[in-house]
Amino acid sequence: MIKNVTIGQYFPGESFVHRLDPRTKLLATIALIAVVFVSRGFSGFILIAAFVLLTALSTGVHLKFLFKGLKPIFFIIIFTFILNLFFQNTGEVLVQVWILKITTGGLRMASFMAVRLILLVISSQLLTLTTSPISLTDGLESLMRPMSKIGFPAHEIAMMMSIALRFIPTLMDEADKIMKAQKARGANFETGNILQRAKAMIPLLVPLFVGAFRRAEELALAMDARCYRGGAGRTRMNQLKYTRRDLIAALVVLALFAAVILLNRVCPF
Amino acid sequence: MPGTPFEARALRDVSLSVADGEFVGIIGHTGSGKSTLISYFNGLERAKSGVVFVNDVDLGDKDTDLIAVRRTVGLVFQYPEYQLFEETVAKDIAFGPTNLGLDAAEVERRVVHAMNQVGLDASRAKKSPFDLSGGQKRRVAIAGVLAMEPQILVLDEPAAGLDPAGRQEMLELIEDIHRSGVTIVMVSHSMDDVGRYCDKLFVLSHGEIAYQGTPAEVFAHGDALHAIGLDVPECAKLAARLRKEGFDIPEGLYRMEDVARAIIDNIGKGGKA
Repeated sequence: MIKNVTIGQYFPGESFVHRLDPRTKLLATIALIAVVFVSRGFSGFILIAAFVLLTALSTGVHLKFLFKGLKPIFFIIIFTFILNLFFQNTGEVLVQVWILKITTGGLRMASFMAVRLILLVISSQLLTLTTSPISLTDGLESLMRPMSKIGFPAHEIAMMMSIALRFIPTLMDEADKIMKAQKARGANFETGNILQRAKAMIPLLVPLFVGAFRRAEELALAMDARCYRGGAGRTRMNQLKYTRRDLIAALVVLALFAAVILLNRVCPF
Repeated sequence: MPGTPFEARALRDVSLSVADGEFVGIIGHTGSGKSTLISYFNGLERAKSGVVFVNDVDLGDKDTDLIAVRRTVGLVFQYPEYQLFEETVAKDIAFGPTNLGLDAAEVERRVVHAMNQVGLDASRAKKSPFDLSGGQKRRVAIAGVLAMEPQILVLDEPAAGLDPAGRQEMLELIEDIHRSGVTIVMVSHSMDDVGRYCDKLFVLSHGEIAYQGTPAEVFAHGDALHAIGLDVPECAKLAARLRKEGFDIPEGLYRMEDVARAIIDNIGKGGKA
């Protein structure tokens, strides 16, 4: 049961994309998402899809992990597709049943929206698959730092994120252990109706919460003992540095951007 | 996590058997697979390859009634006090027997009996387990497993994190349970503890059984044990050292009393000097 939950989905590797600065990857992902919205037709989508797939292949990440991220939004994709299919009534009528009709415009719009959603998910998937959670928060903190001038708590947010991320595996581990211990005492987590199942979670959740609070207290003490006082004046062992790789990546993404805008003009289907 | 770079093999070629009424120790360095191994003993994990039998019941069989297996094999995990969740000590101990579907009177009888077995005063029954001390909490957790009245009790590092007096009490408690007819499997990395109480030892190293036998047989591999991050009991070390110095100390001694007696026998005889 616990094993089905994947939150940290980082797939370690040594590829070009893996070694990019996390800031580059974050910005590139934002650019990629923007370009998905910029594209006005399928020609742009084909180009973006080709780019994402090629990049994914170059990272050595299994493509099945890329598409795994689609599972939770599968329903949304289907829903959007159907809504657009029936309620967009432009162009020729292809099929008509009672008051529902499928038109060429509707079919186009429906597929357009579905492809757009799929592309959005797999491009952001590419980021989380190739960037470890820790370097992701480092990158975020560094990108948010200018905003701290206007009172935005960039460091605190990054610290909270990294603590949360740091404790996800710990808590999962603990949940797994407690679950086993309660199973050894005859607890049943798998069967029963929804009420029985909810009740069966109590022996898991109470110790888990008690443990989480204990850990939080211990961590606060340990941070205090090491004179933690927020991010002011903190230096880092692993400094983030842009390299030539990042320049190349930025140029590639810019080129993609330009190509999609061009396709919008010359080949807008 | 099979299929990812995180995949790891925790155990390989492990074969061991425990007879009724034995007190068996499983020792190994941190990460040697001890804890993984015991979760196979009551079907919490199912082996990808290989078989586990408890009283001739195959735990790998899909039709095996796991509740019945868990009634036979009680498993006390490391730091079991972290699994407590109920409002009162009595309710927490009753969790296991209630899951077995016993009637209220029988559950009540078992709770009282289990509390008695682990030396918890009856006055604590209505207290919150979270108000107890660490050692007392652990007793409650062990009582929670004992209340299922298992034939076989598996304990993972039952004495970890206790002070020396608490350690001693805990181990004596387990010895008492053993004397009442329960088969005990104890995971530990304290050679002194397993040497003192166990009839048979299995030494795990990197997921494989490196040595097995009686404590005397296992401790005879002193240097080899050292090489896999383990040690022999302090008394065995002392005995070996004295023997080297020329004192007449027989081989295979590892209990404090035996070593002390051998030393007393040597008084006045002198070493090689």
